[in-house]
Amino acid sequence: MSRLEAKKPSLCKKEPLTSERVRATLCVLKGIVTSCYGPSGRLKQLHNGLGGYVCTTSQSSALLSKLSVTHPILKILTTSVQNHVTCFSDCGLFTTILCCNLIEHVQRTGLTPTTIIKLNKHLLSLCTSYLKSEACGCRIPVDFSRTQILLCLVRSILTSKPACMLSGKEIDHIGALILRAFLLTIPENAEDHIILGKSIIVPLKGQRVIESTVLPGILIEISEVQLIRLLPAKKPGPLKVALFRTSLSGDLSDTGEGTVVVSDGVSLENAVLDLLINLGKQLVSDHVDLVLCQKVIHPSLKRFFSTHRVIAIDRIGVTLMEPLSKATGTQPIGALGAISPSSYGSVEDLCSAKFGSKHFFHLVPNESTICSLLLGNRNDTAWDELKLTCQTAVHVLQLTIKEPWVLLGGGCTETHLAAYIRYKIHNEPESILKDGGCTQTELQLIAEAFCSTLESLAGSLEHDGGEILTDMKYGHFWSVQADSPSPVNWPGLLSRCGCGIYNSQEELSWCFLRSTHHPFALETCLPHEAVGSANNLTLDCFTAKLGGLQAAVETANLILDLSYVIEDKN
Amino acid sequence: MHLRGLSQQQTDLLSTPQFPAPVPNFRFLPRLFRSWLRPLCRRSSRPGSWRLLAVQIPGPMAALASMKVALQVAEVLEAIVSCCVGPEGRQVLCTKPTGEVLLSRDGGRLLEALHLEHPIARMVVACISSHLKKTGDGAKTFIIFLCHLLRGLHAITDKEKDCLISENVQTHGKHWKNCCQWKFISQALLTFQMQTLDRVMDQYLRRHFLSIFSSAKERTVCRNSLELLLEAYFCGRVGRNHHKFISQLMCDYFFKCMSCKSGIAVFELVGDCLRELTVGVTGLPVSDSRIIDGFVLHRDFSVYCPADGDIRTVIVTEAIQPLFSTSGSEFILNSEAQFQTSQFWIMERTKAIMKHLHSQNVKLLLSSVKQPDLVIYYAELNSISVVECLSPEEVSLIQRITGLSPFVLPEASLQCEIANAALVKFCKPLILRSKRYVHIGLISSCTFIPHCIILCGPVQGLIEQCENALLGAFKMFQELFKGIDLNYMTQENNQNDTLSSLICKNSRENNQLPETGNGSVQRPHEDIVEKNKDKLEKMQTYLNICPKLVVSNVKLGTYTPCLAPKLITTDTFQTDETLKGLSPEINKATDDCELLTESNSTANSTTENTRKEMSFENLQVTKIAGKGSMLPVSLQSLDRYTSQNTFPQTMYCFSSIPAGCVLPVGGHFEILLHYYLLKYSQTCQQSEETMVSMIIANALLGIPKILYKSKKGSHSFPQIYMKAIHALQTNQPLVSNQMGLESVAGKHQLLTSVLQCLTKILTIDLVITIKRQPQKTDDQDSEDEL
Repeated sequence: MSRLEAKKPSLCKKEPLTSERVRATLCVLKGIVTSCYGPSGRLKQLHNGLGGYVCTTSQSSALLSKLSVTHPILKILTTSVQNHVTCFSDCGLFTTILCCNLIEHVQRTGLTPTTIIKLNKHLLSLCTSYLKSEACGCRIPVDFSRTQILLCLVRSILTSKPACMLSGKEIDHIGALILRAFLLTIPENAEDHIILGKSIIVPLKGQRVIESTVLPGILIEISEVQLIRLLPAKKPGPLKVALFRTSLSGDLSDTGEGTVVVSDGVSLENAVLDLLINLGKQLVSDHVDLVLCQKVIHPSLKRFFSTHRVIAIDRIGVTLMEPLSKATGTQPIGALGAISPSSYGSVEDLCSAKFGSKHFFHLVPNESTICSLLLGNRNDTAWDELKLTCQTAVHVLQLTIKEPWVLLGGGCTETHLAAYIRYKIHNEPESILKDGGCTQTELQLIAEAFCSTLESLAGSLEHDGGEILTDMKYGHFWSVQADSPSPVNWPGLLSRCGCGIYNSQEELSWCFLRSTHHPFALETCLPHEAVGSANNLTLDCFTAKLGGLQAAVETANLILDLSYVIEDKN
Repeated sequence: MHLRGLSQQQTDLLSTPQFPAPVPNFRFLPRLFRSWLRPLCRRSSRPGSWRLLAVQIPGPMAALASMKVALQVAEVLEAIVSCCVGPEGRQVLCTKPTGEVLLSRDGGRLLEALHLEHPIARMVVACISSHLKKTGDGAKTFIIFLCHLLRGLHAITDKEKDCLISENVQTHGKHWKNCCQWKFISQALLTFQMQTLDRVMDQYLRRHFLSIFSSAKERTVCRNSLELLLEAYFCGRVGRNHHKFISQLMCDYFFKCMSCKSGIAVFELVGDCLRELTVGVTGLPVSDSRIIDGFVLHRDFSVYCPADGDIRTVIVTEAIQPLFSTSGSEFILNSEAQFQTSQFWIMERTKAIMKHLHSQNVKLLLSSVKQPDLVIYYAELNSISVVECLSPEEVSLIQRITGLSPFVLPEASLQCEIANAALVKFCKPLILRSKRYVHIGLISSCTFIPHCIILCGPVQGLIEQCENALLGAFKMFQELFKGIDLNYMTQENNQNDTLSSLICKNSRENNQLPETGNGSVQRPHEDIVEKNKDKLEKMQTYLNICPKLVVSNVKLGTYTPCLAPKLITTDTFQTDETLKGLSPEINKATDDCELLTESNSTANSTTENTRKEMSFENLQVTKIAGKGSMLPVSLQSLDRYTSQNTFPQTMYCFSSIPAGCVLPVGGHFEILLHYYLLKYSQTCQQSEETMVSMIIANALLGIPKILYKSKKGSHSFPQIYMKAIHALQTNQPLVSNQMGLESVAGKHQLLTSVLQCLTKILTIDLVITIKRQPQKTDDQDSEDEL
């Protein structure tokens, strides 16, 4: 009874966003994520004072999961971004920066939250409908018969993660590997319903990046001693496989809630072992060549198998069970006898492989959508970063199959979108105003805040003090060095825009991105020859970026809508 | 024991000097207080010890303090909730001690999250949560209305305060007066809630009501009205950007799930199981939310075998694989061969069961427990899909939808048909945001057509908010589809003052009856008879009130729903109703005396029922009136009395607001009720009734005031109010500039709950803080034994 304590009353704060402390913390978070953004982003070293190793990263998923935020508003923001990342893998930093910037910019307008939220929603739907429309000038359709665009997409993802510490050559190599691994997971005879396979990432920590490779089938790591003992038993040609889900160690599983009385002199171990040997005999008579077990195989049974030239591998683990079952075409067996012949599968070949100091059994399947991506990198934290990046890239490729478009990267989509909204609001504000509830001035103010949010997001790609320009024709992103001379020399200094689709040879006029400029009509049609031939485009995943845009604006609206924060102090 | 109790009280009071002592028996007070106040009195001469001074004058401050405190509490709460009210309302972020963040605009949830400490605040929150349990709506309006009522009361007491202070505050008589004043007000409020409110609703407001049913008889819901109703509901519940979308979603869901026959039962089912019927997906925009056909289980298949055509499913609640020994039994292993045989038998048995299921066309096995590997293996061999570890809620929902009972393993032979199997349309995996779910096309055996809502949102808090709002909406539906019972009495023409006060007293007694329960009834009825006899001699009019006491009592117990108001005047004699109460099977009261005798016997036979007992007493009274002679005579005599005393004609009305009544949103109900209450209060003779009606009428305006706070120009509150009043005065239809509807039943319930809460607050004159662990109830029992 004495341990019963009355609940402490909660802490209730009004208008949280007006508080200086909240603004400061939001600003700090914004500073952290903004400095990470893009290929030239700075790395963050995270170390927990209570233990664990130091993590060097610039990725949102690693950064946000390791940061511990205490303020409820920041918690909302970070969880929202993390949820977005689990959905789409990519564009986490984009979402965070956009959300922080939007809150900051619209707050400066001093309008009521109701108006801000309503208009934000209108502007968001303007963006999404433009990005989804055929007339969109920053979207490229993906041609799956050629690899260029897909390669560009993967390479853009790799370059935007500087913590992977890859050189240009390594980026090319890893990019090609990722694309190959992805293509291996696509079934050959695709019907209307495609079920993608899986690419399993196998760590080769400490190996050089160049030694990374992709193999079809599954690699099972094994000690050298075992390999030497098992391999001579191997028969040439296709092998019959049995995959066990249940333990073959002879342990007595659940015997029920009652008691089991064992009479004196009765050895259950022997009884179980007899059962196991009988099972072994059945497998041998069924001509099984390879026995795989998720759990443990009894040593006696193992010896029995080796004497009958059956290769037995145990302790596979639950994660490999599904890919193994898929790759070999087996049904995981849960019984210690009476096995149906239909449960067996087969592999084309079983060979040993050695990468660095590690030994592997390589199961070469007949025909399967499972492949192994062996990744090497210099140290643990760089490898972790590379692994995350590869997972992101594979996921992005999968998303691209569903929605076969890519967006122009390198800040061009953002500046283009901002120019589009400016023009649209300036010329046809009626579409939004007809809904009622706000004046034209309010619309102009919020649209300006929204556009400058997008532009400052694009601007945060530049970390080295350069100036950011935009052209007045396509609304793309251009950067020049800080100490560039007069605007007259710009055509000479600028080579290509952020995404790399346009060069400065065209008759373009530029202005500073941050300066106020008159809204201009955009040239929305993309040059086809440029899209077709370009090898060095910077591209972004369409689905992820669109999702990020929506998540950022929705989260910002949510935060702006808060009138009280009630903190439970129990 | 008595002394010990007192000393306990003293110590408690000493620890909290700001709350003066309760006055259970006022005459003891001075002696009691003098003993422990002596040290305090000395200290009170020092400056800054006003709190202690307050203790010395416990009487008049007590009631005032609690009222003031209640107002302060309500004002603080009002400040918090008023920012989330209505379409312009904003969100509140709550953090849980576990670190989760929760977004909410739901008043009940916010109040809970605040963990209020103040006793009055806690009482208010308790009242609100009990109100929410009934209706699922109106927590914020509750607070605002309560706050305005308290303000109204406070304003009145402020006026009278001056005269209080000028006189000697320590006069005990004054305290009594003050206490009585609060008591009177609270009783007047209760009378208002039980009588006037229903009357005004029935006589004046009724004509403004709209219905969500396109035809009242068949109760078919009009889609357009439902959309308006839901939009208005979600306006106050979910984020500003999403309420349109969510209300559309809910509307679709409503029409997809309801078959033409389904009624309240569906609301109950969905209300109970909404958590199982929604799937939350974080990380996607809210606009990706949708409704899907069938039922989604929040887990993946253990075994999935694609199947089409006739799919039958069974639910199992235990492992299919036989075990060595069941609970309470013993399995003796005598030899190794025996063990092997039993292992073999288990295997064969499992195989046979799964084969049997397969032969019966069972293709889906839903299990509430984890099945052994063996079962999984044979299920896969027999192409039976398996879903394991269903939660008890999911199992019960599936059972409610399909009427399926768990599959019992046959003891011996496997030849028989499987009776407990249900057909499903399809069964396939559903992938949402790279997480896999089981999607089953259950075929319903009840009126609910299974559909699931997939709710998407950037954060879990937002999804939970939507989920809770949906849940509340279903509660509101339940309430809306029920209708409200109204009963009240009308008194017409002139009454003198003594009469009216007596009526007041009596109706008050009535009101207390259902609460006090047996206490008031347990008195031997002879006493009452005696008492009544005396009073009859003293004042003949009292007799006329006694039957009324019966009637209102019975009225509480019995109610026959009828749409048109039914009037029963005192001229046809109140026993009509008495009879109805006593023997509901007798509906036609044609012959008074016959029925009266009958009811008399009924009352005699069943004396354990408190209400019947009361009426029995009163029948005795009528006998006395007739001086023990024949009953018809007594009737005559009563009639005579009535005519002699020009007793007011009292009419008892029983009416109801039909199910599905709605009014436009935006303070429509409040302004209407305000107008009619003002009108009503002008006709009232009693000052108390007028005052209470005025206070309530003015407090009602607080809600539209907040709703129109941010509006300017012609949409500002004074403009709207003037327009509405003008329209009402000239008998023009009210025009509402806002779309959306709200339930009248919900509003009525809200008013009732607030008034009940207020009477509770007013009847408390003291709050005592006890700083020790709550004691077990058996301690008190032992004390009683002493």
